[in-house]
Amino acid sequence: MNRTTTAFSIGIKEQARNYVLVALLVVLPVSFITLAFAVTQDVEMPVRTLVDGETATVMRGMPEVHGVIMTPITSALIAGLAGLFLMREAKDTDGRLAVAGYRAWQVIAARFGVLAAITLIVTGVSVGVMLIDFQPEQLWWFITAMLVVSVTYGLIGMLVGAVLDRLAGMWLMLILPMLDIGLFQDPLFIQSEPDWWMKLFPGYWPVRVMVDTGLTTDVDTALSLVWATGYLLLVAVLAIGIYYRATQAS
Amino acid sequence: MNRIQTGIRTNVSTFLRTPLNVVLALLLPVVVIEGWGQAMAGLPTMPTVEAIPIDLGRLLGAIFGVAIIAGLMGLAQMISARAADRRLVQTGYPPRTLLATRLATLGGVTVVVAAVNYGVLWLTISPEAPVLTFVFLVLAGLVYAFLGALVGALLPRLFEGSLVVVFLAMMDAFLSGDSPLAADIPEFVEYFPLYHPKELLQEAMFQGTYTTGDLGFVAGYLLVLLVLVTVVFGVTMRTSGGWSA
Repeated sequence: MNRTTTAFSIGIKEQARNYVLVALLVVLPVSFITLAFAVTQDVEMPVRTLVDGETATVMRGMPEVHGVIMTPITSALIAGLAGLFLMREAKDTDGRLAVAGYRAWQVIAARFGVLAAITLIVTGVSVGVMLIDFQPEQLWWFITAMLVVSVTYGLIGMLVGAVLDRLAGMWLMLILPMLDIGLFQDPLFIQSEPDWWMKLFPGYWPVRVMVDTGLTTDVDTALSLVWATGYLLLVAVLAIGIYYRATQAS
Repeated sequence: MNRIQTGIRTNVSTFLRTPLNVVLALLLPVVVIEGWGQAMAGLPTMPTVEAIPIDLGRLLGAIFGVAIIAGLMGLAQMISARAADRRLVQTGYPPRTLLATRLATLGGVTVVVAAVNYGVLWLTISPEAPVLTFVFLVLAGLVYAFLGALVGALLPRLFEGSLVVVFLAMMDAFLSGDSPLAADIPEFVEYFPLYHPKELLQEAMFQGTYTTGDLGFVAGYLLVLLVLVTVVFGVTMRTSGGWSA
């Protein structure tokens, strides 16, 4: 087993040994998403999205629209907090791995691998729970956008963890996804063209894809997924750079 | 200077030593209150769905903002100094005194956070009963501060604790917060932490009155949380230090 695999498997074992965390990663998405579907009014609401390449307003059931938003909020919140705390732990311990002879890329690959594993689990559970009540029209496009937004938030959590302390980081990683995905990108609340600053948030491009592929039969937002992936890559480069500096400093 | 004053002073200076915490505690309320107000007001009106007036949206944003900032602060306050607290207990610091300093600090910072939120609200809305509105905002913050402290005492890891507090607050805000999206709200929602503080605040803000029953419920809620935090904190400290006074 090479060093990266060793560090990765130790990181995973460390998280898996924490039964409370494992239980929360499953219980929280299940309860939150189920509750969101259960109490949302079953009425048709206007939703602004792309249809045949043109922006149009279509009528869709509010539970479905709400589900399209609540599912990524759940995974983005958990992935963001996971990224935050992984970075805080890394600042305390990963410098020692470097002293013990680990190369920076090996430590980085192992830590990012752990974050990716947590994000995959949370995204899987969230989508699985959502599928009980709502099937997106284009499931795989929807899941891809879910993964992109969740990983992006996980990496943003790492960035925040490098810059802020735990308390300020927790505040930010709660409020950012909630305002971004839950209010600024929610097609129920934003019925006209979003302001330019709303498009700067990490959720703008992926949620656009999720609204389109979740609620309409055609895929009109392939380009938005490209932009979302670009955003993710940019955040990844920043996170790797910051992580490298943080572990070097410790 | 007695032990309680020393403890409070130490806790406050620890918080203030991180200027970003202070900046965020002042800045986040503005973002949450305006974001909430504008978004809620944007909901289209349909036969059974009604957009929330922007002022009510702002008020709900303020309650959520105070609750989540205070709740996570309560959590961090109990977890971050756990090891140090045990050592203090072993050297003869009474656990009750330690807990009193933590909760007093938490209460003080909650009042400041509530004041900031109130200030932001006051810029856009004129409350019918300004003092009552502020007091009820403080109560909403205290409920979550004590709840965060309880979660911190029971679940002494920040990641897990923050997940519990964050999701509880979000469900609470959604169910207790007059969400225009929700219907068939279960009856047990009135036992949620923000339900009665929200009722009190809404009444004080828009009508200038309050209902004694709601106030009694919140006082009872705070008392129960205080007892639970004291018991759990005492148990966790006793495992290594024991009650010394």
